[in-house]
Amino acid sequence: MTFNSHNDVVLSVQDLSISYLTPRGRLRAVSHASFDLHQGETLALIGESGCGKSTLNLGLMRLLPTNARVDGGRIEYTRRDGAPIDVLRLNDRQLRQFRWSECSMVFQAALNSLNPVIRVRDMFYDTAAAHGKRFRRQVRDRALDLFRRVRLDPERVFNAYPHELSGGMRQRVLLALALLLNPQVVILDEPTTAVDILTQRTIIEVLKAIREELNFSTIFISHDLSVAAEMADTVATMYAGEIVEIGPVYELFYRPRHAYTLGLLEAVPRLSAGEEELVSIPGSPPDLIEPPAGCKFHVRCPFATDRCRVEPPPLEPVGENHLAACWEKARVLTHALENAYHDAPR
Amino acid sequence: MTPLVELRHVNRTFKKGRTPIPVLQDINLAVAPNEILCLVGESGCGKTTTGKIMAGLLDASSGEMLYEGRSLVAYRGQARADARRALQIVHQDPFASLNPAHTIGQILSYPLKRHNMVQGRAAVRRRIWELLTLVDLTPPGDIVNKFPHQLSGGQRQRVSIARALTVEPRLIVADEAVSMVDVSIRISLLKMLHRLRDELNVAIVFITHDLALAKYFAWEGRIAVMYLGRVVEIGATANVIGHPAHPYTRALIAAIPEADPELTRNKQRMKLRSEDIPSLTQIPPGCSFHPRCPFFVPGVCDTRVPPLENAPGFSQDVACIPLTSGMGLQEWAPVEDMVADGP
Repeated sequence: MTFNSHNDVVLSVQDLSISYLTPRGRLRAVSHASFDLHQGETLALIGESGCGKSTLNLGLMRLLPTNARVDGGRIEYTRRDGAPIDVLRLNDRQLRQFRWSECSMVFQAALNSLNPVIRVRDMFYDTAAAHGKRFRRQVRDRALDLFRRVRLDPERVFNAYPHELSGGMRQRVLLALALLLNPQVVILDEPTTAVDILTQRTIIEVLKAIREELNFSTIFISHDLSVAAEMADTVATMYAGEIVEIGPVYELFYRPRHAYTLGLLEAVPRLSAGEEELVSIPGSPPDLIEPPAGCKFHVRCPFATDRCRVEPPPLEPVGENHLAACWEKARVLTHALENAYHDAPR
Repeated sequence: MTPLVELRHVNRTFKKGRTPIPVLQDINLAVAPNEILCLVGESGCGKTTTGKIMAGLLDASSGEMLYEGRSLVAYRGQARADARRALQIVHQDPFASLNPAHTIGQILSYPLKRHNMVQGRAAVRRRIWELLTLVDLTPPGDIVNKFPHQLSGGQRQRVSIARALTVEPRLIVADEAVSMVDVSIRISLLKMLHRLRDELNVAIVFITHDLALAKYFAWEGRIAVMYLGRVVEIGATANVIGHPAHPYTRALIAAIPEADPELTRNKQRMKLRSEDIPSLTQIPPGCSFHPRCPFFVPGVCDTRVPPLENAPGFSQDVACIPLTSGMGLQEWAPVEDMVADGP
């Protein structure tokens, strides 16, 4: 699937910067992030913990904690009827409508996101009522339909308390809840972390099936490259608050142009690959209050040159829909192709 | 050769209220000196309990835990202390396993002093320097006076490993030791464990839920796959991963997404008959995997607990009667093809 037409963009983020005010100073959690999310597209944000991927997603829904500031940029959302919405300018009432009915989120800790003292059905009724949908019959029909699509036993789950459900079932309940108001964008924060392998498989299959059926766009955050490889149309690598590379999944995995993307790919074992030579990325992520000069990755980068130490590389096109911010993109690509990381059956 | 540690017919039950929960049933495992053994399985399969019994932190409800051929409970006096010292564990969460109020130097000095590993303050200090260098925390002078919160997760885990090494163990049980550190630095920790194993002649029992990681770490060792408190398959890593025998192992391998779009999207999936893991209080009779197994043979799988033994055509041991009795693969139901959409 390729996404190059400009008229089906549902969410456009331009030059978004977010920082936290901390006792030590201003922490730049997201710097100049830009991307377009198209209808039906799945975008995966990958990167180490602390790279800003969660902050970026909270920013998209304006759920940032009080010590966070949006320093600049635009978030433009296009409704199904074509009307544009400037997310950063919504007032509280408009924001409440925007959240969940246009853009919803599945949080990481499935256990903590469900109210333990009310039944699943009441969570669905409450959510619908908060958005003016008070006809319980309709809400119930919609919920049961969603439960069937996420492979849950509809009647049993609808009337259950959260503790009666397993971790994987709760995750799917949350997914159904996120889809209740038929949003165009669903943000998934680590959707398959902390679940078992076979449960993870079920969730992946369910996600793949319903995004086809219901045609929504997905942004998902993952530190797990393998889930991104399987689910994503587009992958964005984040490092130290910046999107350092973004491109179609096959491009990014087989022809990476940023040294950090390459580093991540070379650090992950693959089950069916036999004996592998893997390398870790040395060092640890930089301090975002006083980030290093030049390319923020240069301290840990095996390809770094003098230029990288002083001049920050711009995010520029390297292929169709593929952008990377790396001075040494040619060497990175050569290295990736030579070491045939993707020696997979083509 | 005598195994370093051996579990013989080990059972372990925990009680939840009045209900006994059989967490481990009839575990037989041996770890040779300097060997790498990986325990893999989903949560609740008993891998951590097995690790704790091997490290001497938990007793078996029945069955025996042998250290160098003798039951651990038969050791007395200094021999017992030596045996206990030889078995060490590195826990999953480096944020919780180090005392936040003590410096790294203090944390490492306590076991050195308690077990009289070295005599005198200067010697303790020298040994701490050596240990920190051994786990690549260099220069040690920058680390000794720091508190755990001043270190990154990866560094903290290195301190945990250094602490385990203070008493010169012969076995290290690493319980999900890298699952809380970032993907980008996991490999360096694993490489370090490999190096320590070679240099210090220790055996490592590596517990993980991540099969790909297990494959990488134990490539020259063995993998044991656990399900609901039993070992269902055990053998050389390359065989278990490349040529899995037990239907559960096959299901796991088929289900795991891989960090390679082409590979992962064209992988053959396996459809289970049920997606729910049975509760440990209601373990199904016979082979506990039979309610989910797509190759279930009625009257065979649900009546007899399958013994863990060699199956014709495989070099590993497997607990699956249709396989070990030679009923053969061809009689089984075909695997449903669930290939995902291409690009």
